[in-house]
Amino acid sequence: MIKVTVLTKSYGIKQVLKNINLTFSEGNVYGIVGENGAGKTTLFRCIAGLEDYQGEVKSTLEPLKNHLGLLVTEPFFFAKITGKEYLQLLCNARKMKIDNIESRNIFDLPLNQYASTYSTGMKKKLAITAILLQNNKYFILDEPFNGVDIQSNIVITEIIHKLKELKKIVIISSHIFSTLSVTCDEIHLIKNGEFIKTVKTEDFSKLEAEMKEITIANKLEKLELI
Amino acid sequence: MTNRKLKDFGLNPILGYLLILTSFLVLSIYLFHKTEFAQYAYILISLALTAKLSEIGRNDFLKLCFNNTHYKLIRIAENFSVTLPFQFFLLYKQSFVGSVILVVLSLLLGLSSFKTSLNFTIPTPFNKKPFEFTVGFRNTFFIFPIAYILTFIAISVDNFNLGIFSLLLIFIVVIGFYPKPENEYFVWSFALTAKQFIIEKIKTALFYSTILCLPNVLTLCFFYYTNIVSLLAFYVIGCVFLMTIIFAKYAAYPDEMNIPEGIIIAISVAFPPFLFVFAPYFYTKALKKLERFLI
Repeated sequence: MIKVTVLTKSYGIKQVLKNINLTFSEGNVYGIVGENGAGKTTLFRCIAGLEDYQGEVKSTLEPLKNHLGLLVTEPFFFAKITGKEYLQLLCNARKMKIDNIESRNIFDLPLNQYASTYSTGMKKKLAITAILLQNNKYFILDEPFNGVDIQSNIVITEIIHKLKELKKIVIISSHIFSTLSVTCDEIHLIKNGEFIKTVKTEDFSKLEAEMKEITIANKLEKLELI
Repeated sequence: MTNRKLKDFGLNPILGYLLILTSFLVLSIYLFHKTEFAQYAYILISLALTAKLSEIGRNDFLKLCFNNTHYKLIRIAENFSVTLPFQFFLLYKQSFVGSVILVVLSLLLGLSSFKTSLNFTIPTPFNKKPFEFTVGFRNTFFIFPIAYILTFIAISVDNFNLGIFSLLLIFIVVIGFYPKPENEYFVWSFALTAKQFIIEKIKTALFYSTILCLPNVLTLCFFYYTNIVSLLAFYVIGCVFLMTIIFAKYAAYPDEMNIPEGIIIAISVAFPPFLFVFAPYFYTKALKKLERFLI
């Protein structure tokens, strides 16, 4: 379990996360939805321990960061490091010995090429492979479907289902609602650093319709397209 | 951009430019004083610097922003300004032909664009423990054969000091693998305490640098066994310097090493016994900084 209690984060006088209370349980997939700048990534960084914050983040396995696979929105790669070496680095970080990297390369990445030469989607797939090889118990996937081809999106969706089956905790943020509706058990809506709504599977379609209505409103008319 | 980089380094840009200019003049005078082939080396260095501006991505961006005539003018002006100090010095040295060749070649380079980095994977013996040696070796692999050739020359001309120089050259290159701080994700990912993390980094650095120094040290030991103590002393100093740089890097982490660290390191270079004071100081500071990311 991961329990977030009264988490608050400020940059100077600006409060970007306000009294966040959340509980994530094993074997569940959670979606975090919100506009750009709503505070999703900051929340993930706080849970991971990459940011200072007020409040508390507790987990069954401590320290949480040592059991957490964090996929950041734009993974960073060194200039002259191959895909294979990137995987090796992240496995070394968790004291994991892997002898069969090639056979676990499910996205068929050119592992002997410099990772910096990969396309955006390939980079994301490499970063996903790395955190999967680490055998983490918890996963935070910040926009895992962004920039990835349709075939790989299907693979990622299946991976998330498998992680759920293995009783892992998966927290995802995505701007593509359909990817969340097929993977999540619960979706939390964040706005201006506050969680304003929690929706269970049965109400996902209602939430999508609501979001569409609020977001689009009369914006298209304002464009005066002819 | 250069202004920002200088400010980030903690230098007033005007002072920074003065320092760059002074270093340029000192190095140019030194080069021309040392070798008769200086003007050729000078032209090559200057063209290597301008070649960086011909990188495809950068040029594609300029082409998108400007029309063809303006783009060409900008590129020619860029290359001309980069080579300008070199041209002045060549003129000062009365190397008129060299100066003309440099102008012509830099202008031609201004009209071309190409990839400035190689895409094929350079093999490295250091892929089991990425990333410092893996990346560093790929950037500087050509220096190690030069260092070994220098050791060979040192033995053939019976010059022990040249042999020591080749050993120090390896250490200087290896130390250069470390100063730049890595993205915090690559520290945070480690399931280690700050102390364990630093020890791991040191173990890898010492093991891999020893592999690189081994051909040099063993050969010198064999041919100069009477000087084995001073040889080992230099090896140990090299290792302590390497450790100190790693400590200093993480003492400033996640920021880049700055003037205070630079001054302390410069003092240590001038008077190595100070290392035994500064290394523990940096180590303690590094632990504190790393505790922010490692529990």
